[in-house]
Amino acid sequence: MLNLRYFVIFLSLLVGLILMILPLPEAVQIYRPHWVALILIYWNMALPGRVGPWIAFIIGIIVDTSQGTLIGQHALALVIIIYINQNFHQRIRVMSLIQQAIYVFGLLMISQVIIVWVEGIMGRPPPILAFFGAPFVGMLIWPWVFVILRDIRRKANIN
Amino acid sequence: MNQLHPREQNTLIRTLFLVSLCVALMFVDQRFNHLEVVRSNISLVLSPLRYLVSLPVITVNWANEWLSSHTDILNENAVLKADGRILNARLQKMQVLQAENTRLRNMLGSSRKLADQVIVAELLSVDQNPYRQLIEINKGTNDSVALGHAVIDDFGIMGQVIHVNQYTSTTILISDPEHAIPVQFIRSGTRSVAFGNGSVDQLELRYLPATADIEVGDELVTSGLGGRFPADYPVAKVISITKDLTLGFVTVLAKPLARLDSSREVLVVKPNNGIAPE
Repeated sequence: MLNLRYFVIFLSLLVGLILMILPLPEAVQIYRPHWVALILIYWNMALPGRVGPWIAFIIGIIVDTSQGTLIGQHALALVIIIYINQNFHQRIRVMSLIQQAIYVFGLLMISQVIIVWVEGIMGRPPPILAFFGAPFVGMLIWPWVFVILRDIRRKANIN
Repeated sequence: MNQLHPREQNTLIRTLFLVSLCVALMFVDQRFNHLEVVRSNISLVLSPLRYLVSLPVITVNWANEWLSSHTDILNENAVLKADGRILNARLQKMQVLQAENTRLRNMLGSSRKLADQVIVAELLSVDQNPYRQLIEINKGTNDSVALGHAVIDDFGIMGQVIHVNQYTSTTILISDPEHAIPVQFIRSGTRSVAFGNGSVDQLELRYLPATADIEVGDELVTSGLGGRFPADYPVAKVISITKDLTLGFVTVLAKPLARLDSSREVLVVKPNNGIAPE
């Protein structure tokens, strides 16, 4: 019974992974929101005891493998934003969706900066402004992600 | 740290540990190949997802083929047969040349060049990291694809294999900023290295002296130096030459001949056991 409920969390992260590799037209690819980060932030807000830095680390490694980035790159970004989220989420939960979205934008920006920073350390080409467009898209879709996952959580009766 | 609630302290310690673990992993992945096994196994688990994501595109292509009119298929058939005949004719000539080549090499006492073995593969429609030029193909170690194998399409070199698992492999394209391929000019025999710069239309040839014998329109082939890419495969065509008088070097831009952004069927070339000419 317990496992079935947590399976829903696992499934939602799987959907996130699929959304990260879905083929998009080349012009739009770079603005793809970090689905896995959004879904992880939600579950960390809802179940901070269950979904924490460890899950962020493991999922980050999986994202690194699927994206072809250095092992540890996305993991580092996700671990850091989940840590920040753990400290702030109680205050954020009571805010309106719009305010939450702005907070999530901040987290996504931090994650993007870390990822781009690592790319820079490796000597890869310097970031273009478009690299920082993804957090904006993430901010815009946060309300939907929040509402959908919240409904799923309630239906599956998790915690 | 003393002011933190014990549980918060715990989370901080855990997080710091994970952060240092991430940094250590990145360092190891960048410098050494030890993590390749980890990557290979995880991507093995992910391969069903990749096939799942490719499914819509595969279905659409299949539906298109199925719905083609009879006339279209007959016409396409006729064109392909004609092409086949022309290629066979050229092949006969090539076999004669190869035989002559072998005889001449034997006369000179130098070692023979063996034919390259190829594996046909298809692109999986998955997107990877937008900062890099990487593609995923549907052949892996089960089909004897290994690290370092060259990947080509009908028109030229596309890249090389950098990660493999049993069912799929990741190929880095020559346009990736991290990639450099040793090339040779067909006309003059000048050797150089072509660097990717992130654009599928351009490769940069750096460090060519201003006195080099090069012209716009020259074709570049792989030189085979470095042992990674088999020699004599087409790479690119020179599109611009800019002389920098202050440094005495020229900046040459070349357009890759392979259709890096649109080829769907590719060939993986297995290096024959590198018997290099003397």
